[in-house]
Amino acid sequence: MKAFSSMHPFVLMIYFLSVLITAMFINNPIIQFSALFGGIAFCGMLTTAKQKLSDIAFYIPLLILISITNPLFSHNGETPLFFMNGNAVTLEAIVYGVFIAVMVIGVMLWCKCYSLIMTSDKFLYLFGRVLPKPAIVMSTALRYIPMLKRQSAKVKKAQKAMGFYTSESYFDRLRFSLRVYSVLIGWSMENAVETAKAMNARGFKLKNHTSYSNYKFKTVDFLLLALNIALIIFVFWGVGSGAVAFSYYPQITHIDTSAFSLAVYSAYLILVFIPFFIEIQERIKWNCYRSKISALHTQRMKKEQ
Amino acid sequence: MFGESGCGKTTLLKLIKKEIAPYGELKGSIIYNNKPIDELPDKLSACEIGFVGQNPDGQIVTDKVWHELAFGLENMGESTNNIRRRVGEMASYFGIQNWYHRSTDSLSGGQKQLLNLASVMAMQPKLLLLDEPTSQLDPIAAADFIATLQKLNREFGLTILLVEHRLEEVFPIADKVIAMDSGKILACGSPVEVAKLLQKSKLSLSLPTAVRIWYGLGSKDVPPMTVRQGKDFLEKHYSQCAGRSVAVDKYSGAETVLEAKNVYFRYEKNLPDVLKNFNIAVTKGEIFSILGGNGTGKTTALNVLSGLDKPYKGSSNVFGKKISKYKGNSLYRNMVAMLPQNPIAVFVQSTVKEDFYELLKAMDVPKDSAEKKVNEVTEIFNIEHLLNKHPYDLSGGEQQKAALAKLMLTEPKIILLDEPTKGLDAFYKESFAHILRKIKDKGVTSIIVTHDVEFAAEVSDRCGLFFDGQIIALDTPNEFFCNNSFYTTAASRISRELFKNAVLCSQVIQLCSNEAGEECP
Amino acid sequence: MKKDILIIFTVVILVAVLLMGTEFQSVDDYYLTHIDDITPQSKTVTLTIDCRDILNNYDKLTPSLKSEKYVPKDGYILNKQKYVLRDGDTAFDVLYRVVRYKKIQFEYQGAEDNPFGSAYVKGINYIYEFSCGESSGWVYKVNGVSPNYGCSKYQLSDGDNLEWVFTCDLNNSYKYSDDKDGDDK
Repeated sequence: MKAFSSMHPFVLMIYFLSVLITAMFINNPIIQFSALFGGIAFCGMLTTAKQKLSDIAFYIPLLILISITNPLFSHNGETPLFFMNGNAVTLEAIVYGVFIAVMVIGVMLWCKCYSLIMTSDKFLYLFGRVLPKPAIVMSTALRYIPMLKRQSAKVKKAQKAMGFYTSESYFDRLRFSLRVYSVLIGWSMENAVETAKAMNARGFKLKNHTSYSNYKFKTVDFLLLALNIALIIFVFWGVGSGAVAFSYYPQITHIDTSAFSLAVYSAYLILVFIPFFIEIQERIKWNCYRSKISALHTQRMKKEQ
Repeated sequence: MFGESGCGKTTLLKLIKKEIAPYGELKGSIIYNNKPIDELPDKLSACEIGFVGQNPDGQIVTDKVWHELAFGLENMGESTNNIRRRVGEMASYFGIQNWYHRSTDSLSGGQKQLLNLASVMAMQPKLLLLDEPTSQLDPIAAADFIATLQKLNREFGLTILLVEHRLEEVFPIADKVIAMDSGKILACGSPVEVAKLLQKSKLSLSLPTAVRIWYGLGSKDVPPMTVRQGKDFLEKHYSQCAGRSVAVDKYSGAETVLEAKNVYFRYEKNLPDVLKNFNIAVTKGEIFSILGGNGTGKTTALNVLSGLDKPYKGSSNVFGKKISKYKGNSLYRNMVAMLPQNPIAVFVQSTVKEDFYELLKAMDVPKDSAEKKVNEVTEIFNIEHLLNKHPYDLSGGEQQKAALAKLMLTEPKIILLDEPTKGLDAFYKESFAHILRKIKDKGVTSIIVTHDVEFAAEVSDRCGLFFDGQIIALDTPNEFFCNNSFYTTAASRISRELFKNAVLCSQVIQLCSNEAGEECP
Repeated sequence: MKKDILIIFTVVILVAVLLMGTEFQSVDDYYLTHIDDITPQSKTVTLTIDCRDILNNYDKLTPSLKSEKYVPKDGYILNKQKYVLRDGDTAFDVLYRVVRYKKIQFEYQGAEDNPFGSAYVKGINYIYEFSCGESSGWVYKVNGVSPNYGCSKYQLSDGDNLEWVFTCDLNNSYKYSDDKDGDDK
């Protein structure tokens, strides 16, 4: 999972934005399925076998549930299958439901990849470029959340061991929770004063701040960004010219198979499979290195003999 | 620099760093490099004078280790390339590279404090100020931290001004020692000179064991500082006393009040066991110490004994009744009380007094007897002057006392204490030990979880070594510490070649003197 | 967490299905509607289903509907014709009976699901509300006037001329009826 996530955060952000926006707003089964498969391939690279199993156990029922929801509420379509309370349940509505589910799950998978790849420091880096001081405040806030959680657990335990919190009455418990909450506010203020002092002690009040990051804009980043932008412009062109237009109601339209629309689909397919290709390439490279190293090793062994 | 809590050492230290100097009236001047500090340019003061405080958490600003290291340099407006080099240097020097990308929240206390030091060092200070930096750390992390400081001093000639109350390791390696009392400098000089000067002072209590033994034996020759010097000293002057031993009685407990049998505990299904076949039986009125390394599960053991965490296997009984059989809060009324590691968690009101009365009200104690109870407890703990203060305004030692006092209001028969001496200076420890004995005289059983071997040796009736989820060795303090070679008191290490079973300073001193109270020839 | 989402989702769908009731009909059953023969004694109304307005706003029409199948050349989905008026028939009842008889696609929201307590016509012959611009939809007129009533609350009387009209500018057609309402008061 190292290869793609080591790209520059800016490039990653543009990439995720382009995939998510297209997957959400282009209403075309080929695009939606491409986004889904791209998401599956990429997510599969990032998660362990166990996680994959639990993901499958989650997404397949979700797919079915979302698919049934649409025909329950939408009765448009030329092919009624049966009537429910005087409204038609149509083939078109069911098919549309399946494609909505595909789109939703595709977007969910991409969001999952986003959260795995765009860690808080990458996000803060991008944010800090625009607004450096709020970025520091956000970083401090991110640090405070787990601290507060831990302290709240400590206070609750301590109070429980004095016989509070164990009362049967819900009202008492609620009142007590509120008080723990107010204690925590006091505690965090106290801590904040200390942190503020530590910030000043390290020159936070000095002027001319710079913003440091571990990220460098490499040639690969530039190449990926260029490819990304070229592909997305092409896809948008396709959308604008109506080559990928598609509708489910009242009748499912045919998929346009002109050379131009096929080109648009391929462009989109390439776009969504970029991370997958990068990961695969990295693995092959790594295996190559490893076998080279072991080959060298055996050579040396032979020489020594 | 050392002295009793509240003697003004921290204030003095903070005055040297103008960004964090306390407000108030200031007379006289503080000179840094021939310049009064308030005339120093901001940038110079921020970079050249570094400060590390005692709370590892409070000083960390950002959420990632790498960002924390870079924070000061960003403020100075260094270029990215410069920051990259310096941060890289610091991370390698302090051994941070392995957790460079982690979030600061996931670090241990020792790692946090090391990070605080490294991020100050990244700004290349010429003077480093440290305010009790090891007080919140366990002994091993503390020793590591001090060793790092020593290395910085030795390798870079960095000037270090350290306020500390745990002097066992630091005192011998200091070039100069300042003893403070009530806002004044009591003694200043080399460790040997200061040791000689402080003989009659109450500050002698906080000096290393070897020095205290030397005091007790009439202060002849040069005062020994380290364990090694202490050993040499005893060998040179008291080899005739060899073979003496402290008489120890086998522990004979009364009835068992708290018992855990074959207890297994883990926090989550997929995590390893924290308690494995954990057994303990504590008898009425004893002080029982559980010692052991950091993160081994001692606190968890206390939580299980207090009914806060439920074991998945095995049972624990309080007064012969299963803990799970105590309904509602009946276990915490006149039965079990627990003092958490962070005593501040006990308080929820804006003054100590309100906190006391709130608890009594929750216990349905009528008003007049509530007042009587509060007065009683205040007297035992000697905390009259703290009652109207906000709990956050108390010092660590005061918080500890007030928190324990609050727990005593529930009139527990068993109290569980988690690291009660963390961050306390020698004087507070002494008075805390005194309070524990007072409570013991009332028939209350105490179970203490601690790293502090000296404290455990002094107050305990029995000590247990916690390792791998269970108590693996259990004995009276004398037997316990004499059988341990590493996990033992300085007094035991100093005297073990000559005497048997001596673990306290006072015991060593006593063995060196003969029955008539005179010293060995 | 994931389990919770699935459970909540299932419960919501089940509740929705239960609330809507579960009356299933096959396609043939649905269209097998009895319509009364006109006798000299029977009361009658005339019904027209008219979407001529779309022809004036053809550029705004959803592309997939741009076909004579959905929008007839003359703009009439159902030409003016007489139908028997049963006692208590509302503007909705007559329409519903006729579209089923004529096998015209039809979707409505039942009175029980509607905040105004009246049935609401969503689409006729695949032409839905919003199919031709943001303020397009189905309205009805009786004798050339839009009553300010829900269609399942307006009872028709003998000889009424009922028109279901698809308008591309709902605001204007309502304004007209609002004015009339004001006159009543």
